[in-house]
Amino acid sequence: MSMVPSNVRNGLKTNLTTITGLRCFDIIPDSVPLPAAVVGQLDLVFDTSMARGLDTAEIEILLIVGRMSERAGQNKLDGYLAGSGSSSIKAAIEADKTLGGACSTLRVTTATAGTITNAGADMLAYRYQVEVIG
Amino acid sequence: MAIFMGNQVAVIVGTTTISTFVSSVALNREVEAVEITSMTNTSRNYIGGLEASSLSLELFNDFDGATSVNALFENALGTKLNIKLIPVTGTVTASNPSYSMSCYIGSWQPISATPDSPSTASVTFPVTALLKSTSA
Repeated sequence: MSMVPSNVRNGLKTNLTTITGLRCFDIIPDSVPLPAAVVGQLDLVFDTSMARGLDTAEIEILLIVGRMSERAGQNKLDGYLAGSGSSSIKAAIEADKTLGGACSTLRVTTATAGTITNAGADMLAYRYQVEVIG
Repeated sequence: MAIFMGNQVAVIVGTTTISTFVSSVALNREVEAVEITSMTNTSRNYIGGLEASSLSLELFNDFDGATSVNALFENALGTKLNIKLIPVTGTVTASNPSYSMSCYIGSWQPISATPDSPSTASVTFPVTALLKSTSA
């Protein structure tokens, strides 16, 4: 299998869409309605196996929840960060580890706290790293 | 063929090509040294004995179907498998020779896993017959 980046990003977006209320993008939008997840670009390492069988990709997914001052934003974030449950980003992405056949397997490896400025305001954000093999 | 990258090795088990599941392959050819040192020798003297080669594979494991990686090796445990290697997937020539061998499958790792990586198998098989060929 050789991954097609657009299919991988589409697949991640499709999996994330199962979280109620979360807006998902596989392209970087000009403005972001919140809460939102933006699937980034693939960092590829080729030739994980012989004969162009497998490549490995790292993809960043940016989760933007809301203004840092909002308690509601923090509460939502707790649900997204959980390892399981209907709002869990990790559980949603790993619900279909082949992304409908776009890859062989994947794993959400890390979620790192941070902020992002959106429309002039500091927003609560998390950067998820996803390792994709295919 | 000049120097070449090691990312295109063909690994064929019986009639099933498993190259895309192989992350590392090494065929180690070795012939035992039989000592024939005699009284007149001033240093130890040897002749070649029996070949004792081995094949080492690092594999991504797979349980999906009768020709899956796991099925191929686990079902052959305690018996021999014919395995063929070609340095660069494609036509066998004098500059891209094939190595056909019979390997005794004395060990297998159906489960070898850690939480942060794909399930793999790391195995070394003794080679009981080895034939190098420059034509298909």
